[in-house]
Amino acid sequence: MRVARCWNFSEDEQPPYPTIEVTMSSASGKVTASPKVDTGFNGSLAIGREVVRTLRLTPVGTVLIKTASGHDEVPVYVVDLSQPDLGLAYTTLAIGTERSLVGRKLIENRAWLLDCKDGKFCVMTPMEPERGHPAAVQ
Amino acid sequence: MMRPFVEALKAFKSTPFRSADLVTKLGYAAGYARNFLSQATRQGLLIAESAKGRKGKNFRVNPNVVRRIILKGGKEKEELLEALGLTSRYAGEYVALKGFQVLDHDQDVYRLGERVFSDQKKQREITITNVGIPKKIITIEI
Repeated sequence: MRVARCWNFSEDEQPPYPTIEVTMSSASGKVTASPKVDTGFNGSLAIGREVVRTLRLTPVGTVLIKTASGHDEVPVYVVDLSQPDLGLAYTTLAIGTERSLVGRKLIENRAWLLDCKDGKFCVMTPMEPERGHPAAVQ
Repeated sequence: MMRPFVEALKAFKSTPFRSADLVTKLGYAAGYARNFLSQATRQGLLIAESAKGRKGKNFRVNPNVVRRIILKGGKEKEELLEALGLTSRYAGEYVALKGFQVLDHDQDVYRLGERVFSDQKKQREITITNVGIPKKIITIEI
């Protein structure tokens, strides 16, 4: 495996936390941000009030979610999401929360390196076998 | 206001009804029925229409109220879904509604969203929500 692309941990709070840069857009605008990667979030994207305001999003519904402190009902938005390094560009539902978060749906099916020593979160890709190497034959 | 509105929704759904129907079908006193109709129409919960060839007005539940109540959430949302008969039918699922009509449903909200919001124009018409506690609930750590 080799490191394909890394994003620095954010040091906004302690301890620093992993992030991924994503671009969120709507008919009214575009925002590029680096939300916290929350592996306890089984969805794709949560957006904070600032993003909702900037993109002038209106909710398309409300859903019940399970948080660390119990159940909560949150608004749901439709957002265009893109992350070129991961080859992602699609329209998805995003839940409205206190802060923006990237969930497991965005990082699933890929290998990741959580480098707490250098404060980086990196996506890994398989090494291509060299020509003539036995692994290349088959 | 919500209780008689939910009862009217449960009894008549999108069918027009008259003040007298509230008396005969829901057992309301005539004065109470008239007050409710007047207030609910002012609040946009009901739409008043002149009854062809008959004295008085017909009323029907404003379908836009569905979206308004769902976006507000809470107990009123639960009562609305119950009144629409969705609680028993789609328990644990997510539904996509256009007015009173269920367009689609799924246990996975993201799959449902992909299907119903593929056309951007529909975002203003369609409302999605959970019915009861979703079997595939979104969890978040913070």
